[in-house]
Amino acid sequence: MRYLISVLVAAVLSLIALSAQAGERTGAILDRHVLPGMRMLAETSTALGRAARADCAADSAALRRAFGAALDAWIAVSHLRFGPAETEARGFALAFWPDTRGMTPKTLRSLIAAEDPVVQTPEGFATVSVAGRGFYALELLLYDPEIAAPGSEAYRCALTRAIAADVAATAADLAADWQEHYAALMRNPGAGGPYQTDEEVLQEFFKVLTTGLEINADLRLGRPMGQIGKPRPLRAEARRSGRSLRHVVVSLVSLRQLAGLLAGDDTDLSGRMDHAFATALDRADRLDDPVFAGVATPQGRLRAEVLQQAIGAIRTEANEYMGPALGVAAGFNSLDGD
Amino acid sequence: MTSRRGFLAGILATGLAPSATWADAGAPDYLSAGQGADGSHALFGLSGDGAIRFRHPLPGRGHAAAAHPHRAQAVGFARRPGTFAFVLDCVTGQTVAEFTAPPGRHFYGHGVLSRDGARLYTPENDYDNAAGVIGVWDAAAGYRRLGEFASAGVGPHDIRLMPDGVTLVVANGGIETHPDSGRAKLNIPLMQPSLVYLTLEGEVLEAVALEPALHMNSIRHLDLRGDGLVGFAMQWQGGQGDLPPVLGTHRRGGAPHLLGAAAGIADQMNGYGGSVAFSGDGTLLAVSSPRGGRVQAYDVETGELAQNLTMEDVCGLGAAPGGFIASSGTGTLVRLEAGGIIPIDRAPVRWDNHLVRLTGA
Repeated sequence: MRYLISVLVAAVLSLIALSAQAGERTGAILDRHVLPGMRMLAETSTALGRAARADCAADSAALRRAFGAALDAWIAVSHLRFGPAETEARGFALAFWPDTRGMTPKTLRSLIAAEDPVVQTPEGFATVSVAGRGFYALELLLYDPEIAAPGSEAYRCALTRAIAADVAATAADLAADWQEHYAALMRNPGAGGPYQTDEEVLQEFFKVLTTGLEINADLRLGRPMGQIGKPRPLRAEARRSGRSLRHVVVSLVSLRQLAGLLAGDDTDLSGRMDHAFATALDRADRLDDPVFAGVATPQGRLRAEVLQQAIGAIRTEANEYMGPALGVAAGFNSLDGD
Repeated sequence: MTSRRGFLAGILATGLAPSATWADAGAPDYLSAGQGADGSHALFGLSGDGAIRFRHPLPGRGHAAAAHPHRAQAVGFARRPGTFAFVLDCVTGQTVAEFTAPPGRHFYGHGVLSRDGARLYTPENDYDNAAGVIGVWDAAAGYRRLGEFASAGVGPHDIRLMPDGVTLVVANGGIETHPDSGRAKLNIPLMQPSLVYLTLEGEVLEAVALEPALHMNSIRHLDLRGDGLVGFAMQWQGGQGDLPPVLGTHRRGGAPHLLGAAAGIADQMNGYGGSVAFSGDGTLLAVSSPRGGRVQAYDVETGELAQNLTMEDVCGLGAAPGGFIASSGTGTLVRLEAGGIIPIDRAPVRWDNHLVRLTGA
């Protein structure tokens, strides 16, 4: 009996230890990955709003610099598409991409052609379709000659300022929601909240890790690569500002940090994941094709495919080793999604 | 030299084949794809009490199948975004025909045959145009492509033939995908799912949308009651904070009616309806959620929750005399009756998404 009790006590203690570890990992992910990333997004977006107020010219070096810094900050947290990013569709309001039907240029053209007064107030602009808001709309205004030329200069200026201000406000709301509300729900899972246990919290982060990898492989690379013999280089994300490959790199660097924090003190797992990320980043480094224009040639497409496969290899490692370690149940139907 | 397969397809094409009926295949009540313990995929014929009537190997993971109304033939489709379909003789297990989606199209894993078995209708993705189409195939002549018409929406998934035999009902899921991007969803903020009724020639008779706040609730799967009431299951693509119901009914000319909106009840389904089925007597409508590990059945008339059962990785649902049968990815097959869950069988088979009911058997 005493033996049984000591076994039970040991079992309970190890469960508590496991849970404490899970809680520690959540804390580390929030304090070192999520919250600093969100703060960076809010700060750089505020600076973007300020830069647009100071100089709204499409070719303003200061404005373009501020745009690049804020978009980098968004890409680094863009995989965190749950909770605060879903509230009020903030994620889509900041980043409507991919734009498979050209809704962003269409929306911008019609705003400019009509000189729509909706740009005059932040409340008004917040009612514009997500296709006309956010970083990708601003990119067209700053870098696409077909959008940056028509209409009156005064209106384009007002529109640039309205989008930048809207991005700044949305980013501030997003960061504040994390800081003041959602981080606590993840730190203290339990009845009445969106997560019942620490494990569920870690599983949410695991899910966004694998989805983030999928977006890099299937969308950022897959869309411009197209089918063999049918490349689509003009579909590359943010190609006008020359940022397509950069986004893959920024995202992978951020996802690598998340993977490391998720692995916690499981050195075998973290080593495995880190190696897979290092390989992919090395491939990205060697690609030397900033807007994936090279996919138009068979050799260039092959090199993009090498990077895509390296990202696929990270996903495989994550699904095979990290998922089970985090208790993610691989249901035949529940994960099928069809 | 004529291969056996070619020979069989040939005599089928002439219409001279001695057509085996479902009775010859053991008179199954359901078809379901599944994965055996050795990892191989197969199509199963199941009786209403869960007995396996036949088991024929498949080349890969299945999704749903379309059952021929009288010949013992099932049309199987490769999983989304597959372009490959095959016709299985459920008596011999032989593939009697194979066909592929035309260039620029892929299947969604569902299809339905006309009442006389002469035509097959398949929801397809015209992906370069982000448009749904219904492919029309000559099922009497070797599954030759006859043409296609618009599904009047994006991402048509399930399709059924209405009890009148001359109207199709299609669940346009609303989600745009493209093979270049795998299964990534490309249009979530702008998606517009719909339930559309069409003639067999493709004329739109009625298109039904949910209220704008629910535009991210993808209408995916269907079941019909004999009087033409349509049951539909949905998959929510929006935030996890405020989960909407995943089940609804619609009757031609009316407004859609959602079931299970009560807080706490909707949450249990995790925003994900997997399969939908009317009960054997038609008084209840059930929806399964593999993500919530639950089946909820509602009284169709009152809208009240009649059964709320937990079952791990449940997805397949079908009508049974006393209620429903349900299958799961963990190999469980059960009857759901007023008294609760009655185990039928625990086969070493991971049952796939859907149980396809054979009505003409």
